[in-house]
Amino acid sequence: MKARVAVLVFPGTNSEEETRDLLVDCGADARIVHWSEAASLVYYDAFVLPGGFAYEDRIRAGAIAAHDAMLDAVIEGAQAGKYVMGICNGAQILLEAGLAPGTGEIRRPTAAFTHNAQGHFICERVLLRRTVPATRCAIAAALPENLLIPAWAAHAQGRLAAAPAHLDELDRDGYIVFRYADAAGATDAHLAPQGSAHGAAALTNREGNVLAIMPHPERDAWNFNHLDRREGSDPLAPSGGSVLFKSFVTALERL
Amino acid sequence: MERVFAVELKIPDNEAFTAMRALQRLGVAVARVQRADILLFTGDEGEERLAASIERDERLFNPNKHRLEHVPSAHPREGEVWIEAIDAPRSLPMRRLVGWRLYDNAGKPLGNDDLDAACARLLCNPAIERAIR
Amino acid sequence: MLCSSSNFRRGPSLRDLKVAELDDEALREQADALGLALRVDELRSIAQRLERAPSFVELYAFDAQWSEHCSYKSSRALLGRLPTAGPDVVLGPAEDAGILHLGEHEGERYGIVIAHESHNHPSQVVPFEGAATGIGGIVRDVLCMGAEVVAVADPLRFGSVDSGREHQRAVARGVVDGIAAYGNAIGVPNLAGDCYFDGDFDDNVLVNVVALGLVKESEVIHSRVPRHGENFVLLLVGKATDASGFGGASFSSVALDAQEAQSNKGAVQVPDPFLKNVIMRASYRVFSLLRERGIEAGFKDLGAGGIMGCSAELCSAGGFGAEVDLDSVNVALDRLLPEVIAVGETQERLLWALPEEIVDEVERIYNEEFSLPQVAQNARAVRIGRATAAQRYQLRHLGEIVMDVPIDFLTGSVRDTLPVEAPTPPPMRREQDLHCKRSLDDLFHQILAHRDVCSRAPLYRHYDAVVRGRTVIPRGEADAGVMAPIRGSRLAFALSVDGNPRIGRLDPQRAAEHAVYESIRNVVAVGAEPIGLTDCLNYGSPRDARQYGELVAGVDGLARAARDFGLAYVSGNVSLYNGAPNGHAIPASPIVACLGRLTDLSHCVTLPLKEIGSHLYLVGETQRALGGSVLASILALADEAVPEIDIERIVAEHRFVLAAASNGLLRSAHDISDGGLFVTLAEMSFGALADRRAPIGIDLDGYAGWSAAGRFESAFGESGGIVVEVADRDVERFEELAGALESVREIGTTIAEPLLAFEDEAWEIADLHRSWSRPLEELFP
Repeated sequence: MKARVAVLVFPGTNSEEETRDLLVDCGADARIVHWSEAASLVYYDAFVLPGGFAYEDRIRAGAIAAHDAMLDAVIEGAQAGKYVMGICNGAQILLEAGLAPGTGEIRRPTAAFTHNAQGHFICERVLLRRTVPATRCAIAAALPENLLIPAWAAHAQGRLAAAPAHLDELDRDGYIVFRYADAAGATDAHLAPQGSAHGAAALTNREGNVLAIMPHPERDAWNFNHLDRREGSDPLAPSGGSVLFKSFVTALERL
Repeated sequence: MERVFAVELKIPDNEAFTAMRALQRLGVAVARVQRADILLFTGDEGEERLAASIERDERLFNPNKHRLEHVPSAHPREGEVWIEAIDAPRSLPMRRLVGWRLYDNAGKPLGNDDLDAACARLLCNPAIERAIR
Repeated sequence: MLCSSSNFRRGPSLRDLKVAELDDEALREQADALGLALRVDELRSIAQRLERAPSFVELYAFDAQWSEHCSYKSSRALLGRLPTAGPDVVLGPAEDAGILHLGEHEGERYGIVIAHESHNHPSQVVPFEGAATGIGGIVRDVLCMGAEVVAVADPLRFGSVDSGREHQRAVARGVVDGIAAYGNAIGVPNLAGDCYFDGDFDDNVLVNVVALGLVKESEVIHSRVPRHGENFVLLLVGKATDASGFGGASFSSVALDAQEAQSNKGAVQVPDPFLKNVIMRASYRVFSLLRERGIEAGFKDLGAGGIMGCSAELCSAGGFGAEVDLDSVNVALDRLLPEVIAVGETQERLLWALPEEIVDEVERIYNEEFSLPQVAQNARAVRIGRATAAQRYQLRHLGEIVMDVPIDFLTGSVRDTLPVEAPTPPPMRREQDLHCKRSLDDLFHQILAHRDVCSRAPLYRHYDAVVRGRTVIPRGEADAGVMAPIRGSRLAFALSVDGNPRIGRLDPQRAAEHAVYESIRNVVAVGAEPIGLTDCLNYGSPRDARQYGELVAGVDGLARAARDFGLAYVSGNVSLYNGAPNGHAIPASPIVACLGRLTDLSHCVTLPLKEIGSHLYLVGETQRALGGSVLASILALADEAVPEIDIERIVAEHRFVLAAASNGLLRSAHDISDGGLFVTLAEMSFGALADRRAPIGIDLDGYAGWSAAGRFESAFGESGGIVVEVADRDVERFEELAGALESVREIGTTIAEPLLAFEDEAWEIADLHRSWSRPLEELFP
């Protein structure tokens, strides 16, 4: 039986459809769950928090959504070992909810994806590389070593920030699952387009069952998203960033 | 010496409404929320000259939507908290903070306990921000 | 037949204007005091028709409805000259948006809904809010056709933003931030746009907006009460009405001066993209409910004229009158005057006309399932009235009738006849090549760094180009944005928006023709077949015979060019009174959007060069006409002719390029526009830099081999045309396909050296890129 994945929609979410579509194309039974249906979340095997502007980033990106009733189910699930992936706004929500990096109390954040160094929204193509061992984060475990994953950075608040000592701890202990990379695979911090600390593009938790990833692999995930990079002849086939979603679904199937 | 100005919206503030609703859902007894950009200057420049320079700077102030107010005290008033990003750039001629002013059902500034709760649970992320009371 | 006013019983608190008792001067004075833009003759005709003193509410209603913005009174007669019918037209410009046929997928016919508007004056006054509400408004126009909103685009004209020009710079930044804040938050990708900087827009920027939606042609919802819609309930959806937009409808029809901009602050429209995001998704749910039940409804956006304008037009378009109770409107403030509730322009509102049987369910979707009241203060869906068989438009407030007029009189067309002065005839074409003492090298770098040429990436990277995951080509990677809107289908559309103010200043008619040609050319350059157009006419005052003459010439140019290319306009907008307080108008600015169709998105062609050893062809002719070119503005050349549009040749060229693209023969393509051929080639060579690939250079043959004009015209002229890259293996098939088409000539090859080589010059591509990529970074850091 296919894994049941809930794609959560908060008021202001805007990337739910492509996220659901890609999960389906990668073999999951993915459904969009709207905020008025929060009670149904307990029936799902895994949660994906898609991109958007939940509550229009008012106060801080992710701050209000982290207190939404839907997060109660996500927090409970994550603590029970369910897989949780937050993309862009979803990642911001997971940090505000304290699920990533998860080193503090619930809903008492220790870090944030906050305002870009340039002070505004950016939208550009990026490459990501996993910079932790495959076993560190189950969701990213099925990715080949050194693979460069194409994605789009499309955010106004994507710069990882926290107290310097905490950032060093996250770096040292393998919480930074993906970093921004160049075409040669280098991951120098300056390659992060918004000035993210340690060049971080994604964080996991201690257990490795939560992934908070800022850039959008699902926006460069089918051949038609990047015709010049086409893999195979079918322009509608998944490619590029879909590898991360395939890895997520593979991890679910192994549970 | 420090001089403080508040730039307030005179058009409806959607963000303040959302903040109020969110705080209410968290059980904070708040009935009205006001938000302002707090501009904090250090130096000898006179109040009028500073006010004029703010009003000239279209990045800070548009007379069609903003109201400029001189804040007599360099500290938040009762029921008020100022939020500042810890790593905010220091290159600007002033510090720029977000001021939240919370009122209870009786229209009075919110008491300290409720204000603490509002800060800790929603208005301030201590990993990246400091709350000034 | 004149309807009598016998229904109208004067309530005790009714305020009215005793038009008949006042002489012209006193009437003008009183109207001014009320802030009415209605003319004295218009006021008298209202009082005559009503056979009584019009109430204040009625005055503001007519003021809005008969404003230029709503009535198009200066332009409606002209707009009849535009072609609006064609094989791909599903719906012409009669409703909130037009619809073009995209294609079929799994037995369903799909249409692309397209709307095009301006939000110029509001953006000048409050740039962020003005531009944001521009996006908000155009999105509602598309949404209310029953469509899923899939893309926006934004043609922008800013003032000169050189250092020290802080106001113009702040306006430009505010506009871009406003578009970004709104479009990004509602999750609609920004697919196309253009941007010019010109001192003639210093006091009056242009912010045009285009939005696109996807709809099954069988499921279109019209902006009218259906034929059987007597007693249909009018259900208002969205933000609580406040005073924020009062006066907006008159506001955009009066030239701005600084003082007025101050006093117009009541007209600031406050955007709320968060609420819009939720309303859009709730409306999609309502669309599927109506489909399931097979219910026909009417749906319309609230724009100029507010509740009154929208309900009157929705009902009158269906052949009905309307009764609306202003007391039932959800308001943000107590004690709003009835005229404010009636015609105020609070954002984020739409109006349904629904049969009684479904109203409760629709209300529940908005108010409970999507919890609008939690999203914004007192936002909700609420019943405010009904469509009536009686041909009256009636408003009640506090139990009194405050407006009761014949609906056709309110919404019927008003037309002004205005004196016209034809524009000065443009200069003739030169017979000799241009002589210029400047070096090609020096000019090339200056042109690449020119504000109309340099990279727009610092601007458009503020916009989300890829949300929804269906973007095929984002801005900057080809001449038009391309999107595959239907899951599981290879159908795609291409969009480009164009209009060159440098030509507008010289030759208003030719500017319109070139706007059409360029938008079509851009769509063709990505391999898409052009299927339809929209236009936004941005001009000065119709009360100035010369400025009005530019509008007339522009409409003629649009009409002629569209007929020549065999295309129709399905949506459009007119924005007049654009100019400086001293009466100096903006350059004539007809802005055109072209929609193209790709039946198989794999045939899409992008801009960057792909491989070494390819052959580069120029498809097009070079003319000795530099009018409107960047070169002419740099060299301050007067008396230059604007390039002619040789329609038969160009149509044949486009047909050829499309055939070559669909046969897979084009590796890359890029049109020749601002800055000319050398800029086109440089931009094609920059792609490899952007993709962090090994660079690809270009070795050009001597221009004498491919151009009938001189070297400056050949390098920097802007006569149009498209450059295409053909792989060595495809050259034979390509040339065979070109056949007898003379205007297809090989101009060079791609090389491994990172150079652009021409005659005795060789430019390092990295140097060219430096000149081109940086100028806007300082404005949009």
